[in-house]
Amino acid sequence: MPAIETRGLTKYYGAVRGVEDLSFTVEEGEVFGFLGPNGAGKSTTIRTLMGFQAPTEGTATVLGTDVRDASALRKTRANVGYLPDELGFKETVTGRRLLEYHGALRGDVRSEELLELFDPPLDRKVGEYSTGNKQMLAIVIAFMHDPDLLIMDEPTAGLDPLKQERLLEFIRAEQERGKTFFFSSHILSEVRKVCDRIGIIREGKLVELADIASLIDRSGKTVRVTLGGAVAASEFEIDGAHDVTVGGGGDASGDGPDPDNLDGSTAVSFTYTGAYEPLLRHLLAYDLRDLSIEEAPLEDVFMRFYGDQDARAVVERVETENEAAEQGADQVADQGAGDEVDQEPEEPQDAEASDV
Amino acid sequence: MFETAAFEAERRLTGSLVVALGLAALAVMMILIAPGILEDIDIDALLEAYPPALVEAMQLDVMATIEGFLALELYWFGLLIVLGIYVAYSAASTIAGDIEDGTMDTLLAAPVSRWGVLGEKYLALLVPILVVNVAILAVVFVGTSLIEEPIPTADLIAVHLLSLPYLLLWGAFGMLASVLVSRRVVAEGVAAGTVVASFLAETVAEGSDLEWLGAVSPTRYYDPITILTASEYDFLGGVVLLAATAVLLLGAGIRFARRDV
Repeated sequence: MPAIETRGLTKYYGAVRGVEDLSFTVEEGEVFGFLGPNGAGKSTTIRTLMGFQAPTEGTATVLGTDVRDASALRKTRANVGYLPDELGFKETVTGRRLLEYHGALRGDVRSEELLELFDPPLDRKVGEYSTGNKQMLAIVIAFMHDPDLLIMDEPTAGLDPLKQERLLEFIRAEQERGKTFFFSSHILSEVRKVCDRIGIIREGKLVELADIASLIDRSGKTVRVTLGGAVAASEFEIDGAHDVTVGGGGDASGDGPDPDNLDGSTAVSFTYTGAYEPLLRHLLAYDLRDLSIEEAPLEDVFMRFYGDQDARAVVERVETENEAAEQGADQVADQGAGDEVDQEPEEPQDAEASDV
Repeated sequence: MFETAAFEAERRLTGSLVVALGLAALAVMMILIAPGILEDIDIDALLEAYPPALVEAMQLDVMATIEGFLALELYWFGLLIVLGIYVAYSAASTIAGDIEDGTMDTLLAAPVSRWGVLGEKYLALLVPILVVNVAILAVVFVGTSLIEEPIPTADLIAVHLLSLPYLLLWGAFGMLASVLVSRRVVAEGVAAGTVVASFLAETVAEGSDLEWLGAVSPTRYYDPITILTASEYDFLGGVVLLAATAVLLLGAGIRFARRDV
């Protein structure tokens, strides 16, 4: 039984679209990241899964329970932890009283242990809490009854970096105990740290469902090289290289008046999706002074989904890319390189038009 | 069970005590000035100064006795209007307020039913209703004994007991407003405004062509003045109010169970 399954899940608020025709499955024991920009429909999906609002069409099951069956879902919720994106607490009560109240509603089996990791000032009134403290209180409430499934809306929001890291570590540890996580985020770095699979939602529609590894594979590597002498971008039109930028200083920022040849070297950076060997052979033909190959930031990958074009075009292109990838990695370069140059808003527009 | 009722009741306590204190102070003041007014002022002469229609509508003629004076100045004004508004307003803020500030999500994420949530929040309204009633009862009982103008105990108990269905009805009405309207201030305004409107309706309708209008006003079914001055208890009115309460709560529950939060 999948932990969560949606079938054609659609929610409209009157004429306003929340989400449309979402179909995906979250398996037991996995950490599923639900990504999308603000307003894409992440919270709508989550609130429908929790039974706060009824789907307009289609449906979903949570731990096998249809979300439209209010009384069955009520029992199921005993085994679901929920972390809302908007932290609503009665401000005039202390954190301790709230914890006691929610513990009485859900059952409290591990709040003491949780409070060692996430430690809001319990004796103060919640109205005096910082966002981070409220978030920690919400985390303790979400986990205190030791549920099998955790549904979390932007779980790291408001936490300081240390606590964010602690939460992500905690999620990993909980996964090892067999817990399932479904969480929404617009922060990619946290998603790649803990998620097994992700769904990307944009304008209410699911545009991509992938495991993290294949997504990173597809996104390629960021290659930065420093070469002796002058180099033209055209020299790097090799298979698998996209978005070639040529400039000095080892970084493509290029604020100098004449970035090239300050010390007789040229920096070249590009995204590379092919195999290492042809790349290295190509580079060895130059006076190679520095080389770094890293995973491309997931942000770049997602820019494709969040970019200006409509979701259908994205899906089509992703599908063509997938087919191409299956036929042979070499194909991908020809097919994808052209479009993608324009779609990388990460790339400073005015920088390094130098030789291109 | 009843965790929500207990939690809500705690949060109602401070406000209830404030209202109780205010109305108790009003009661003390009225009891203190009543003998002086009743002795020194010629009520009959005073009443003649007013148009007969107004005297009848406002039941000013009963002011000649301490029972009538307190019924009008304290029970009619304090219990029916002030506490009625407070209860309706508090009820209206429950569901709409929780949805607005996001607390409803945290609450409904627990394995609770919406009917249960609504019912327990409603139950917590017993705090202001009971606290204020007990405070006024105590002050009036002790106060009128001290000034040696005691009101018959049976009447006193009846006037408080029969106020309960009336106040419960306004609570139920507030709950209904709370689930029908999505903004908290609007729900509160609708609830409090309806209490005031029902008074005006009852007052204006009396003896006019709009008699039917008075029949839907809850004040028709609970009359502290008759209870205190004539010792007539309208138990049937209490039953009518309780039945209406049940209908309103049922409507609120059905609506809340089905709506998106």
